Amino acid sequence: MTEQLTPEKTENMPPGLQLEKVDDRIMTLNVGPQHPGSGHMRLIIKIDGDYIVDADPDPGYVHRGEEKMAEVRNYILNIPHLERPVIHDSCNILYPYVLGVEDLVGIEVPERAKYIRVIAAELNRCVYTQYWLAIYGIFLGHSTMFMWPAGDRELLIDLLEKMTGARVTHSYFVPGGVRNDVPPNFEEVCLRQVNYFEKRIKEYADIFYDNPILKARTDDAGVLSASDAIRLGTTGSVLRASGIDFDVRIKEPYDVYDELDVHTNVLKEGDSYARSKVPWLDMLESCNIIRQALEKMPKSGSIRTKLKPNPKGGNDEVYRRVESGRGSAGMHIISKSQPQPYRLKISPGSFRNLIALPYLLKGEKLGNMPAVYWSLNYWPVEADR
Amino acid sequence: MSVIAPKFRLAYFLKSIIDNIFWIIILVTLIAIPAIQIVLFYMELPVIEGELLTAFLAFTWLFHPDMQIPLIKSLIHSDLFRIAAFPGFGFAALIAAGTIFVERKMLAKLQLRVGPFYCGKIEGLLQLAADGLKLISKEIIIPAKADKPLFWVAPILFVGTAAAFVSLIPVAPGGWVVADLDVGLIAVFAVIGFFPIITILSAWSANSKYPFIGGIRALHQMVSFEIPLILSLLGVVILTGTLNLNEIVESQANFPWIIFMPIGAIVFFTAMLAELERIPFDLPEAESEIVAGWLTEFSGMMYGLVQLGSYVKLFAFAALFVTIFLGGWTGPVIWPPLDEQIITEGLPISDFKGDPLLTVSTPGLPLFDEDPNEWILQKHGLLEYTSGQLFFSGVIWFVLKTIAVIFFILLPRGVFPRIRIDMLLHIGWYKLIGLAFVNIFIALGLLYAGVLGPEGIF
Amino acid sequence: MGTATGIIKALNSGAKHLAVKRFTLRYPEQKLKFVGDGYQFDPSTGVGIAGYKGRHMLFHDKCTGCQLCSIACEGVAEAIGMVKVPDTWKINKKAIMPQIDYGKCVFCGLCVDACPFYALYMSNDYELSSFTKEGLIYTPAQLQVKPQVQQDSELIIDKRGARHG
Repeated sequence: MTEQLTPEKTENMPPGLQLEKVDDRIMTLNVGPQHPGSGHMRLIIKIDGDYIVDADPDPGYVHRGEEKMAEVRNYILNIPHLERPVIHDSCNILYPYVLGVEDLVGIEVPERAKYIRVIAAELNRCVYTQYWLAIYGIFLGHSTMFMWPAGDRELLIDLLEKMTGARVTHSYFVPGGVRNDVPPNFEEVCLRQVNYFEKRIKEYADIFYDNPILKARTDDAGVLSASDAIRLGTTGSVLRASGIDFDVRIKEPYDVYDELDVHTNVLKEGDSYARSKVPWLDMLESCNIIRQALEKMPKSGSIRTKLKPNPKGGNDEVYRRVESGRGSAGMHIISKSQPQPYRLKISPGSFRNLIALPYLLKGEKLGNMPAVYWSLNYWPVEADR
Repeated sequence: MSVIAPKFRLAYFLKSIIDNIFWIIILVTLIAIPAIQIVLFYMELPVIEGELLTAFLAFTWLFHPDMQIPLIKSLIHSDLFRIAAFPGFGFAALIAAGTIFVERKMLAKLQLRVGPFYCGKIEGLLQLAADGLKLISKEIIIPAKADKPLFWVAPILFVGTAAAFVSLIPVAPGGWVVADLDVGLIAVFAVIGFFPIITILSAWSANSKYPFIGGIRALHQMVSFEIPLILSLLGVVILTGTLNLNEIVESQANFPWIIFMPIGAIVFFTAMLAELERIPFDLPEAESEIVAGWLTEFSGMMYGLVQLGSYVKLFAFAALFVTIFLGGWTGPVIWPPLDEQIITEGLPISDFKGDPLLTVSTPGLPLFDEDPNEWILQKHGLLEYTSGQLFFSGVIWFVLKTIAVIFFILLPRGVFPRIRIDMLLHIGWYKLIGLAFVNIFIALGLLYAGVLGPEGIF
Repeated sequence: MGTATGIIKALNSGAKHLAVKRFTLRYPEQKLKFVGDGYQFDPSTGVGIAGYKGRHMLFHDKCTGCQLCSIACEGVAEAIGMVKVPDTWKINKKAIMPQIDYGKCVFCGLCVDACPFYALYMSNDYELSSFTKEGLIYTPAQLQVKPQVQQDSELIIDKRGARHG
């Protein structure tokens, strides 16, 4: 005789097998991958009228097995492969890998290459943040805030294309430096376009950040207190919007960040408005960093240390992390004296921030769902790897 | 640009021509000719120059130079022309189509990009025609468990109600309105009150979660903004003492009402944005949360009809705003000047060297005057402007003012994000009703102080 | 009052932009100009020369058929295969040359880095669409053709804003 399953009996079973009592008031909405408001992720939301009772994120739609695929390629051939988790911000997700391999194999990077790497990383951070801001605008129904960042981003992508040869997924960093030197006349073109870019993003204040409708909509939406932010393990701009001053570029400086003047922007409220304002302030900061780096860069010099064929590390492991557009992105490499890495683990910033989503959405209104969800700076492809 | 065209074969070409001819013959025989016959059977035939105008007589007179102008004149003053073409649906649809195109181009310029630019050689003028053709050619998909009669009829009802709204608004002096009612304003409110019913019916009959949420939100929004809409217009009604829209416009001959009722105008404008579901109030179609709201399950031409009805409604609301607050068609007479020589002697035609060839006499001119002898009175100084001149200049002022109001309706779309449902209900039930009452008190104050109104100074 | 000034400032900022020039690049009529001739690599210094990574260009008189480009691509995209060519060159005894499948190529340029004989470069050509999948496989003879590009627009920044012209 099969026994009747009741909700009490299935409480201890894994989540997919549990039974729930059907409540007439609660409706289950599937904000799925085919939805204009979700990205490549599924959110199962249970709503009671206008209030969200439970939210269950379901990532994994874009999982490719990148960490496994990295084990069969050698260190140089891994470069086009490991920059694909975030295609716009590719330099920043590749940066910890390159730094880690340099530590393992023991390579010195020339000074000019370090400056060029910093410039490319900051440009990538601005490009990613503009894209994120564009989608934030369209989630809130503000179509101009989609077009302006997407258009102004072209100014920087143009620079990256002159420098590296490709608009996105540049394959530019190698262990030992960068692949090619910047074209002649690059410094003044870069300065001119970065100055104009900074003037453009200051115009977003009037139409977006000081807009009373936006403020009334995102103030006090999804408040994350400082202690909760530390307890849940969030990182990046989410952490800085809750009042905690932590930036990997200052705490663990890599390349030439210790010689440049970097300020962090910290806001105390911890609501969606603060989380959407911190990346914008970070972009203004990035423009300053690029200008300083262009001044201090040595005018000539080698940009790549020649590697021996088939570089391999010893029996060693290394963990490096950098500050990418979404938070601290880290890479843990274990090598066993082979040209291929034995095991590679990517620790992206987005997956850390996903933990906060069901916690923040409980008790929120349904109208606040897009604002809270996207303000956590979540990039689905990187979180699924 | 990148059309994948198959290779040209004569057999396919001929086959397509024969296919088209076949379908044209079938449609004309089965649909067009019976429709024409029914229209001709039921239409009231006017009497011109002492003869009953049957279809045969009309075709004969079309080629008779003396009779052409009276024929056209009788056609212009008939009911069918009024409903279908000039102040009715044709005019509204034309302005609605122009609005859609101007909206796309204006938003594009605001967002530093080019709007449509490929269809039509100049800046994409034929884009709307291309969109219409595309929507007609798509398959209409009905959900399996939907309530089919209601679901099919909902877009048609929507366009019909919007057309009914357009028919109440006067466009030019001389009674150019499709339905001239003494309680015109109350009829307008009755028609506006029908829109939430259509929305909730079409949302409910789709039997799906996202239209359900969208329909409930649309109902909340439209119903809660109807009260400020009505209250804000009461100020003007108190000051003019009449509900007839023609008389309201005529009472603004010296000054528009927006000077004395600015708060009422702002309240009406905000409530109008909410009734039209424009940004910042476009919750019922909020794309990022509830895929397309109550329009989710519409596809193909049903969606096209709903969009058409939506923009005709926009024109009607803007026209109502112009009629009540901005003075309708009033304004100095700017065009056309009157040319006496054409009426008395005829139209001179000269060849390219400048020598006069012949003079075409056109009896029956002028075309838009009510009385054919008004120009004689004007020449002798007894009549200041003929009714034809007043008609044209009135239409021009009306169209200019409506375009200005439509520009201000389209502008917030590029500038504001979407508002949330609880903020919207707060505004509709608290703030706007309060401001509307303030407006009524101002109107009452002006009335009892003897400044304005039927017995006032002005 | 704060809300009213905020709303008016937002509308003002929006209306101001009606006077700024549009930023769009009208693609088929205007095409962007690139710096240089395409990505190239100098094996003697071990450093690349900046350029756009477009379609490859193969110099038949320098290629020796060493297969290093094919081996480099096996770890990335497996887009290069070696095929026999009918012409005879003194340095190319096996008479094989690379053929590139652009359906698989990711345009990373590691094959250019791998070639030690200055034979494989990348050019400025990016318009590579085709109606069939087989049309995307470029034989060595097709790779020899120098691309004809007409690219002359660039980004202009002046007082009235930025635009492509």
